[in-house]
Amino acid sequence: MSATVASERIKAPLIPPSTHRYADVIHRLEAGGSMLPDTPENLKQIIGIYKAYAVPMDFYWRDLLYIAERVFLNPLPAFKYFISQEYLDRPNSYAGDQSPLRIWRGGEKAHPELLEFMERGETGRMPKLLHHLWHDRVNMEFAEACMQAMLWHQGMGGRFNDYLESDAYRANADRAIKAYFKGNPLMLGLYALFPEMFLEQVRQLSYYSNLGLFWEVMAPVFFEMSDLYDEGKLTSVPEAMDFLVNGIFAVAGRPIYHHLYIGDECYEIIPKSEGFTWLYEAALPYVEAVFYRTSPFRGTKSYNAQAAQVPADQADFHYGILYADVFPVGSAGIPPTLLMQDMLHFLPPYLKEIYREHKRGEEDELIQLGITFQRSMYNVTSAVIQALRCALLYPLDDTNPEHLMANRRFFEAQMDRFLRPEARLSDIQSQDYR
Amino acid sequence: MDLFLLLLIPLLAGVLLPLLPAASPWLRRGALAAALLQLLDGLWLWQHPPAGVSTSWLPRLGLRLELGLDGLTLPLVLLAALLTAMAVMASPLDQSRPRLFFPLLLATNLGLIGAFLARNALLFLLAYELILIPTTLLVATWGGERRAGAAIRFLTYGAVSGVALLAAVLALGWLQPGGLNFSYTALADHNLSVGQQRWILALVLLAFGLKLPVVPLHGWQPMTYSQAPTSVAMLMSGVVSKLGAYGLLRFGLEFLPDAWSAWSPWLAAVGAISAIYGALNAIVQMEMRRLVAYSSLGHMGMLLLALAAATPLSLQGVIAQMLAHGLIIALLFCLVGLIELRTGTSTIPELSGLLNPQRGLPFTLGLMLLALMAAAGVPGLAGFVAELLVFEGSWVAFPWPTLVCLLASGLTAVYAIRLFNRVGFGRLDNDRADWVSTSWAERTPALVLTALVLVAGLWPSMLTGFSETATAPLALRSSDAVTVIAMAPANLNSPNLNPAQLPA
Amino acid sequence: MASILETAASVGVFNTLLAAVDAAGLRGALEGPGPFTVFAPVDDAFAALPPGTVQTLVDNPPQLARILKYHVLSGAYSREQLVAEENWDSLEGAPIPIRSQDPFEVKNATVVTADVVCDNGVVHVIDRVILPG
Repeated sequence: MSATVASERIKAPLIPPSTHRYADVIHRLEAGGSMLPDTPENLKQIIGIYKAYAVPMDFYWRDLLYIAERVFLNPLPAFKYFISQEYLDRPNSYAGDQSPLRIWRGGEKAHPELLEFMERGETGRMPKLLHHLWHDRVNMEFAEACMQAMLWHQGMGGRFNDYLESDAYRANADRAIKAYFKGNPLMLGLYALFPEMFLEQVRQLSYYSNLGLFWEVMAPVFFEMSDLYDEGKLTSVPEAMDFLVNGIFAVAGRPIYHHLYIGDECYEIIPKSEGFTWLYEAALPYVEAVFYRTSPFRGTKSYNAQAAQVPADQADFHYGILYADVFPVGSAGIPPTLLMQDMLHFLPPYLKEIYREHKRGEEDELIQLGITFQRSMYNVTSAVIQALRCALLYPLDDTNPEHLMANRRFFEAQMDRFLRPEARLSDIQSQDYR
Repeated sequence: MDLFLLLLIPLLAGVLLPLLPAASPWLRRGALAAALLQLLDGLWLWQHPPAGVSTSWLPRLGLRLELGLDGLTLPLVLLAALLTAMAVMASPLDQSRPRLFFPLLLATNLGLIGAFLARNALLFLLAYELILIPTTLLVATWGGERRAGAAIRFLTYGAVSGVALLAAVLALGWLQPGGLNFSYTALADHNLSVGQQRWILALVLLAFGLKLPVVPLHGWQPMTYSQAPTSVAMLMSGVVSKLGAYGLLRFGLEFLPDAWSAWSPWLAAVGAISAIYGALNAIVQMEMRRLVAYSSLGHMGMLLLALAAATPLSLQGVIAQMLAHGLIIALLFCLVGLIELRTGTSTIPELSGLLNPQRGLPFTLGLMLLALMAAAGVPGLAGFVAELLVFEGSWVAFPWPTLVCLLASGLTAVYAIRLFNRVGFGRLDNDRADWVSTSWAERTPALVLTALVLVAGLWPSMLTGFSETATAPLALRSSDAVTVIAMAPANLNSPNLNPAQLPA
Repeated sequence: MASILETAASVGVFNTLLAAVDAAGLRGALEGPGPFTVFAPVDDAFAALPPGTVQTLVDNPPQLARILKYHVLSGAYSREQLVAEENWDSLEGAPIPIRSQDPFEVKNATVVTADVVCDNGVVHVIDRVILPG
């Protein structure tokens, strides 16, 4: 359902204006827009960064599934980032000719730019092991940090987490573990001694699978948006947001599962028949855990309980990209920095041009693109908010004032989450925030 | 003739530069070239020691043009030339009123070189007074917000210092039998009684104590150093203050040894107090320039301690400290100036996170780390060499003041870390970080000085090698020190002891 | 009277719903004795969803079943009974909020026709597909 508005409504507003601090943003949302203002500059920046994000994401989802399905409980997974050719060639269900619901017109295998980067990196042609040790590769640690955020925050809606505590899951996991370690008395013995530890590891691997399946969808969405923009078919920020909203709905029913492959045999740890959906079990928990909450980055906050720098209530965590202060985040060892480093390699030329002309030029590209990324994620969050409104509330052009007030209350509740001082919502309203 | 060249270069440059058009880049380049030429000349003279100059000038006043270069003044001349060059490079590229600014810098340089080369006390006095005018003008015209007050204060203190020195020099001249002869050789050979020496020494201490400065005569220093423009601060703290130390060495230690050794315990105490005072004040400063100024005060206190002890080793320490401190303090002021140029402020609470490699000033702060470590006396850098010589040389003479100075040296680490922590680490404010990174031209003076500080730390004879033979005779003049040396276990590090003085 | 599914088939505006029920494999359950309360979205409601939504669900029966089960209550309840409570637990597990005053609304859908009584339960016709959350 498109979120554009009939022009008649603007002429005679059915409800009074909002008195929220972010009233402007709320009115823009009610008009079908995004939290990010609609300017050509914004559009150029976010589309460019979507494309730069999608290429490493292509690696992330493939490797996440590789780890969840193949590496599994390998006690010394030194080569878990050495993705197999099978997974590089694994067809994306939403791209390529074979796709039943084709989102991207491009190919279903790993993106050519990604393959080129894996081949050369920044240093040049070297054996893969040297690239890995030199850390001249895609920073998979970022994907794992996102997974860990989802694992750790747990109860954010959906049935996934409850299922992980259920007996059915326990039985499935038990069967899988025993099959995986067949013929390995040491590990089986350890499993007999510490079953909960192994079970927890399997839960973590289920989240690997969850995140991998989530990102498998997002990558072609971003690629298609970039292609449409290059062709001139995406001309405004609300259009970009609408594309995301439609994408979210189209894939909402995708099953979330965790299958283990030992050789050719498949062990279903979380079968598709459990009915877990992409929207409820993957996308919404991901947005909550990674965009809003995440975890405090070591070195930027004191973990000392007496210092009280970290909130006691997990729901109060505010370390996601929507609240990020890009400067300290641009320091070593902080997961979003790893993503920024990855995106640096795949920036489209028009985005590089924008960065070159501003402040320190190429010197502070990482920070500039980090802020651009923040803008783009506000747009994605807007899409999620609009999609939720569409699913659970009323159309924007509804004529019933009560319905409109319900929408209004929903938007205001969402905006309440950005009232805290760390939120960057007010910063992104200005083009000066670079 | 060669010595005249040292004086002629800045004189000519200072006279010719104002003839260029106001916006000409050759003003800056000319001043730099003059300073570098002077440095090259000084290096050449180092390898080819010149004959002294001694001609009559105003015989009725006893003023002879007597110039000479010995092991004591050579390093100071080189330091003056080098720091003048660095000061010129550290001035902003859009320096206002350059036709006045650079000639004034060169005039200061001229006065300094003249003072160091002089072998006649009146000539020295002339040069000493001469320096006062250009430096006051430099502070008053191009200084910070409170430059008028700073300049006036500086001028007043400087004038008192000049008057005291005048009285001392005249007294030294008049109290001699056999006519008015102000040349150093004559003054060194006088037969004044200890009582007379004490009066003159009091004047000398007043004069050069105001210049160095030492507590309690330091009132002008923090304000003037913080209000002076970067180039001027570099020159003033780097070389002009060393003029005070040189004066004490020459006029106090060399010409008035008996009074000096009688008063040296008090002097050592004053030095220790100065060191502690400087360090403690530096710890609480909120503004970078004032912090560096108090740091300088502290180091000058250590210098006074070494002068008071007057053992051969401590006098080598004096020279080493003069050179090392000159380099380090000029480097610190240069870096602080660079930070202020980029960020617009030198107030510590307003700065943080400048080490950020993307949007901060990582290169400048990196050099600042080395500079602060050098100031704190970390081994491997020039400051350590100097402080080691000072402490080891003074310990045998005055153990308690030396301990206090050691404590002060430890405190330098406190304010060094405090400054670096506040300014370098932490979170860079995105709204304010809209400067471009420093260019190589702007970094050059700091880079050169840092390199010298590093080399001097690893090759200490760069600091002491000039002057061993020049300072040792001075030490032996101080009778107390000789006794102390004789009583202490044989100090094998002091190669210049007269064999007759060693314990039998 | 006819069963719920027969009633729906006879009206003619529930083609998508019935196809979905078949695809999800819920026909047998809904043919049973029940009784059930079913909130039945009309074809237009399914069409109003963004393109591809229904297709993805139809391709994945367990997920589709979950959405459909959210439209069913265990037990037959008329309108008066429904509006007496604020929330009713669906067969899927998540609660369905019912508006207590006029007009009769189920979550964000308006009930077009209420109290269509069948053999094995009651059907209320709604104009939107309701989703949990």
